[in-house]
Amino acid sequence: MTTITQTSKAPPIPNRRSNERRRQNLYGYLFLTPWLIGFFGLFIGPGLASLWFSFTNYTIIGSAKFIGLANYIEMFTTDDLFWSSLWRTFYFAGVGVPLGILGSMFLAILLDSKLRGVSIYRTLFFMPSLVPLVASVILWKWLLDSNFGIVNQMLREIGIADPPGWFSDRRMAIPSLIIMRLWTSIGGTQMIIFLAGLQGIPTELYDAASIDGANTWQRVRNVTIPLLTPTIFFNTVLGIIGALQTFAAAFLLTPEGGGPGFATWFYALHIWKNAFDYFEIGYAAALAWFFALIIVGMTIFQTQLSKRWVFYYGD
Amino acid sequence: MASTSKSVAAPQPVKLDRSLTNKVRQRHLAGKLITYIVLTITGLTFAFPLFWTVSSSLQTWQELRSYTLHFLPTVPQWGNYAEVFDKAPFARWLGNSFFIVLITIPGTIITGTMTAYAFARFEFVGKQFWFIMMLGTMMIPSAVTLIPQYLLWFNLKMINTYVPLTIGAWLGGSAFMVFMLRQFLLSLPRDLDEAATIDGANPFQILWRILVPLMKPALTTVAILQFLNDWNDFFGPFIYLNRERLYTAAVGMRYFQFIPLETTDPRDHLLMAAAAIMSIPVLLLFAFAQRYFISGVVMSGLKL
Repeated sequence: MTTITQTSKAPPIPNRRSNERRRQNLYGYLFLTPWLIGFFGLFIGPGLASLWFSFTNYTIIGSAKFIGLANYIEMFTTDDLFWSSLWRTFYFAGVGVPLGILGSMFLAILLDSKLRGVSIYRTLFFMPSLVPLVASVILWKWLLDSNFGIVNQMLREIGIADPPGWFSDRRMAIPSLIIMRLWTSIGGTQMIIFLAGLQGIPTELYDAASIDGANTWQRVRNVTIPLLTPTIFFNTVLGIIGALQTFAAAFLLTPEGGGPGFATWFYALHIWKNAFDYFEIGYAAALAWFFALIIVGMTIFQTQLSKRWVFYYGD
Repeated sequence: MASTSKSVAAPQPVKLDRSLTNKVRQRHLAGKLITYIVLTITGLTFAFPLFWTVSSSLQTWQELRSYTLHFLPTVPQWGNYAEVFDKAPFARWLGNSFFIVLITIPGTIITGTMTAYAFARFEFVGKQFWFIMMLGTMMIPSAVTLIPQYLLWFNLKMINTYVPLTIGAWLGGSAFMVFMLRQFLLSLPRDLDEAATIDGANPFQILWRILVPLMKPALTTVAILQFLNDWNDFFGPFIYLNRERLYTAAVGMRYFQFIPLETTDPRDHLLMAAAAIMSIPVLLLFAFAQRYFISGVVMSGLKL
C-alpha cells in the first residue's frame, strides 16, 4: 500500500523541482556566459600562460625552454633591483596608505558635521581625484619643479633659501610621489566611503556619550573611531592593493621611467621593464607571479589581523 | 509641605539648564567656526594645484620662468590653447578617447547587467564558486595577465586596433562594477520578478522590462565609472597603440611631453593647457552628475 501511494504521488514533485533546478541552471549560466568567456579568455588563460612562462627562458625570439625554478632563484639571489624595488614599493605603500586613510577619515568627520555649505567643500576635495593620472603627473612635476615650481618659489619667499629638489632629488622622489598620491586620493572615493560609514553610526550613541559628559574629542575617540573600524579596514585593504601596484606615476615621471636614477623604480615597474623593454618574458612572468603571491598574502594577513581590531556594531 | 518644596525646587533645574545650554551653544559655535576654518584651509590647498594649472596655462613661458612669485598671468594668453591643438593632433586624440568610451559603455552596461542578474537572481550550480572567483580577479595584479594578453593580441594581429582596449567591457566588464550592480539588484524586491513570471514573462523580459528601468541610477553610475576608467587609462592604449593617429588623449599627452617641436623653448605652459584640456571633460561630467559619483561608492561600500 505504502509503496503504491509513494510511487503514484512522489514523482511529480521531484520532477517539478528538477525542472525548476534545470531552469535556474540554464538561465544562470546563460546570463553568465559573456563573463565566463572573459574570465577564461582574458584572465585564467593568460594567467596560466604566464605561470608557464615563469618556468621558462622565453624571450619572444625563439621558443620557450623549461628551466625549472631558475627565474625564481635569480630573483632572490642575483637581481639587485628585485630587493630594492620591493623595498621602495613597501616604503611608498607603508607611508602613503596610512597617511591617506588618516586624511580621508579626518576630512570625512569634518564634512559629516552637518554644517551649511559642506557640499561645496566635498566637491573641492573630490575634484583632484578626477584629474587623469597623466595630467596630474605633469601638473605635479611642474608644481614641484626645483627651480621654477610655484611651491619652491613660495618656500623661498618665506625664507627657505634652499628648498627641496622634490622629484629631481633621489631621496625626495618617493616622498614627492606620496604627496601627489595624497592629493589625488584623500578626497576621493576613500573619503566618500568614510562618509557613508559615518552616516551608518546610530545617533543614539552620540547622544548617550554627550549625556555621559563626553566632549567632542572623546566622542570621536570612543564612538566614531571604533564604529568606523570596518570602514578603515576596507579602505586599508583596497589602499594597499592599489598602492603596491602603483607605477604609472613613476613611469611617467622621467622619459625612461623610474628615475631619477632608480629612485622610483617600483616593483611593478621592474616587471614592466623586464617584459616590454628587455623582453625577458619568462623572468617578468616569474616576477609577476611572485607579486601576486605577495598581494594575496598581504590581503589574507590583514584579514586575519582585522579580527583583533575591527569592531562590528550589533554583532 | 510637599507642595511648597515642589514649587521651590521646580524653577531651579530650568535656570541651571539655561546656563548650560548657553555654554553648550557657545562651545558649539566655536566648534563650528574651527571646522569652517579647517575646511577652508584644506579646501584651498586641494584646489590650488588645479588653479595653478589653469593660471600656468594662460602665461608665457618667459613669465613662468621669471623667478618672481606671481599667481596670475599679466595678460591671459588664450592663444596657448590654440597652440596645443596646432602643435599636436589633440583634437583627434580626444576624439579617439571618446570613440573608445562610446564602445565600452554599452558593453559594460549590457554584459555587466547580465552577469549581475545571474548572480543576484538565479540559483545555479557553482554560483558561490564563480562569485568568489570574480572577486578574486580584483586582487590579482594586472601584470600577471598583461604579457600573455599582449602576445595573444599580437598573434591575432590586433595591435593598433581598439579591440584589446574594448573587448573586456563586452565580456562582463570590471568585477567591481558587476559587484555593485549585483548589490543594487539584491535591493530590488523579488516580488517584482515573481509577479511578472506569473504573468508569463521569461527572464529576459523580466530583466529588460522590469529590472533595467529600475536600475537606471546604478547603470548611470556604471557608465560614469567606465568613462573615467577609459578616459584615464594610460597603459592599455600605451602598449596596444603605436601609431600617433590612433593615440588616446592620455597617451597623446605623454607623447606631447617629449616630441620635438620647431623651437626648444620650455613648453610648461602648453603642457598645463593640455592637462586642463584633458581634465575638462571629466570635471564637466562631474559637475552635471555629481550624485552618481557619490552613490556608486556608497552602493558598493556600505553593503560589503
